Amino acid sequence: MTRGGLPKRQRLIGLWLLLSGVSLLGGAVFAAWLDTQLTPTGATRIALWIGSFSGGATIFLVGLLLERMLFTPLRHLQVQLARLVANPDARDEHPPEGWLKGLGPDLRRVRESWREDRSRLATAHADGARSAARIRQELETLLQVLETPLLLCDHHRRVMLFNQAAEDFFVGNTGLGLGKRLEALLPVASLQQALSQLPNDGSPRELLAPCDNRWLKVILRRVPGSDRETLLTFSDATASWSSEMGVRAELADMLTPLRQHTASLTSAADALIQLRDQNDASTSSLRQRFERVIHEEGVTLGDNVAKIGQLLDDMQHQGERLTPMWSNDFWQALDERLDPEHRLITPVGMPAWFKGDAPALIALFDSLVKHLNAYLPDNGFEGELCLGNKRVYLDLIWRGKAIPEHELAEWRQQPLTSLPLTPSVADVLRQHASDIWSLADDDGVHARLRLPLPAVERVGAPRETAPPRPEFHDFGIADLPPPDEALASRSLRSLEVVAFDTETTGLELRRGDTVISLGACRVVNGRLLASEAFDQKVDPQRPIPPASTAIHGLTDADVIGAPPLDIVLTRFRDYIGEAVLLAHNAAFDLLAISHKGVAFDIPVIDTLLISRALDEALDGHDLDSLAQRYDLAFPPGTRHTALGDARVTAELWLALLPRLEARGVDTLEQLLTLQANAFDRQDASAL
Amino acid sequence: MAKVLVVDDEPNIVLSLEFLMEQAGFEVVTAEDGEQALARVKDAQPDLLLLDISLPGISGFDVLERLRSEEATAQLPIIMLTAHGRDVEREKGMALGADDYITKPFSTQSLVEKVKTLLIKEQP
Repeated sequence: MTRGGLPKRQRLIGLWLLLSGVSLLGGAVFAAWLDTQLTPTGATRIALWIGSFSGGATIFLVGLLLERMLFTPLRHLQVQLARLVANPDARDEHPPEGWLKGLGPDLRRVRESWREDRSRLATAHADGARSAARIRQELETLLQVLETPLLLCDHHRRVMLFNQAAEDFFVGNTGLGLGKRLEALLPVASLQQALSQLPNDGSPRELLAPCDNRWLKVILRRVPGSDRETLLTFSDATASWSSEMGVRAELADMLTPLRQHTASLTSAADALIQLRDQNDASTSSLRQRFERVIHEEGVTLGDNVAKIGQLLDDMQHQGERLTPMWSNDFWQALDERLDPEHRLITPVGMPAWFKGDAPALIALFDSLVKHLNAYLPDNGFEGELCLGNKRVYLDLIWRGKAIPEHELAEWRQQPLTSLPLTPSVADVLRQHASDIWSLADDDGVHARLRLPLPAVERVGAPRETAPPRPEFHDFGIADLPPPDEALASRSLRSLEVVAFDTETTGLELRRGDTVISLGACRVVNGRLLASEAFDQKVDPQRPIPPASTAIHGLTDADVIGAPPLDIVLTRFRDYIGEAVLLAHNAAFDLLAISHKGVAFDIPVIDTLLISRALDEALDGHDLDSLAQRYDLAFPPGTRHTALGDARVTAELWLALLPRLEARGVDTLEQLLTLQANAFDRQDASAL
Repeated sequence: MAKVLVVDDEPNIVLSLEFLMEQAGFEVVTAEDGEQALARVKDAQPDLLLLDISLPGISGFDVLERLRSEEATAQLPIIMLTAHGRDVEREKGMALGADDYITKPFSTQSLVEKVKTLLIKEQP
């Protein structure tokens, strides 16, 4: 691409210095020879020597003049043009100079005209899109607050939109992402089949799909009037399904044997009554048999009743209104309800998860504090969650005496007027299959109120609520070519690209240095998605040398507890999906991720090679130089972090795109050829 | 002869328990509600209580708590009887100081065994 451009600067300078040197040396030899032959004296001798050096000096001076007045201005012009193509609003650092100074006004005019045209276009676009944007914003807000997880796919089953609820619903599932195929999220054949058979009138179809350890109820409907786009909503059917198929089915199954045993018992009792008056030897064994029947049936009925009781308890534990709660969140919500102005409850002990109906429990404790204030202090409580077998104990602790049972019994009848249908405290306790009691602590100073609740098999604090994603839809995805179209002929702009970078323990990857951090981000439809990032520290299972820490800032303490590389690479492969890879100096990063059994047989784009291919004559193709050339900014503290560098690489890719297109490099195949040529030339110059 | 106080508001079960306990060689006194139970404990001074939880007036838990709070009855063996049978009530009964807990329906044999075991344990 640059065969007709400027020759490489070092080569040119080398040639010039060589010519100047040879000429000067030749002149010196020639002058010395003349000097010995003619033995001139005085002014003649000076003229002879000056004349002999004049050729070399002229070449040197003309070269210097050309470098300063033509070649340097040309290089600056090249940088400026590259920057202008990538970003017309970039700063104007190199106005034409030297003999090109005359181009200044014309270049300025071209630049200003371009900016004006762009500005006019942008204004027109903004005006035209304003009302649409308003509607879109309203719709986005609505979708983001909607508690139903939903996503929208194009007819190639690529995700074009998903809301916050969907992100929460599929937390930890790397298959969810804009532009990703639905199969990556839910690899279920029945889903593909249902999608292909959906009616176009928008009427819904339902199916149950397994996902991790859950059964999801999926409702699908075609968006009427669209290009076969599909809206999917999800709910977790596991609890209701297991309730229907589990406890309720078991209860129904128990009815028949209960009837049978009851019939046996009553018949045997009736028979025994009949035998009451026939108290002779012939009926004695019969009486004993009936008595045995009554005893056996009584025992069996007792067992069955106990089992029913257990099933009913289970059912209540699975109650749909009982949801998992993090104890600290509960104490905080209760605190705000009891006294919005002051902090009344101090959570103590280890926080944990439990299952409950939060509004009902908060109303219950609120009522407790109001009705039993004679026993409770007004200066605060401690809240503790104690772990038990299959259940947890929500304990409210205070300095003082325990609440007597008769007071609690009275309180249990109190109506909770802030709840629908005004249930009593006892109703809420029944809803949780629980009871409440108060005990004095062994220290003789404190007392506590204990409420047992079902435990939840979940560990770890809840995720920090992520700020709303800046982008959760991209309807342009529907215009992308079909995913099965040969990658090679895909246009560069339509490529789904994952930019990645690694930080390592050192540069000697072949001698045992390995990855300690892997960061990546996704470019879909020519847009860098801010939130869909992959950022994972890796346990290198070897110490991080201080020299390496000095670069990326990561210490051994930072990677303690991080997963090993093979696990991270498997997750990273899931994250990539069907995208192509992008890296700066990809050879290094590919080597870093290539030896752990996870295959990355994906085309790789290398911004270093592209930049060299485009601007062979320019020096400085490292990430810092290119970021400066293309006016890309590193947020403070992100340079030499894997994700930070991956993001800059992605930005660099987007800046290089228009320059590639301007040179007719439109497809992945053409780009890879360009890259390969740059690589070959780099190899050749290295030899 | 050891004395057992049976507290239950269901006359049928009181009848059976009274019969069974007498058969097992105990003297039996009965009470129908919590107030009566507290009075019987004072005047009849039983060696053991079979105490139902759901009683008219003050509940079995309340009776248990009051007996445990008084020095004279703090160590009196008490077996709770209940028709609810929920784990949480068993736990509450034990937390408030019951010695054992039996869910209705129960095996009469195991009830008698438990009463005997507790009384033996209480004997010096």
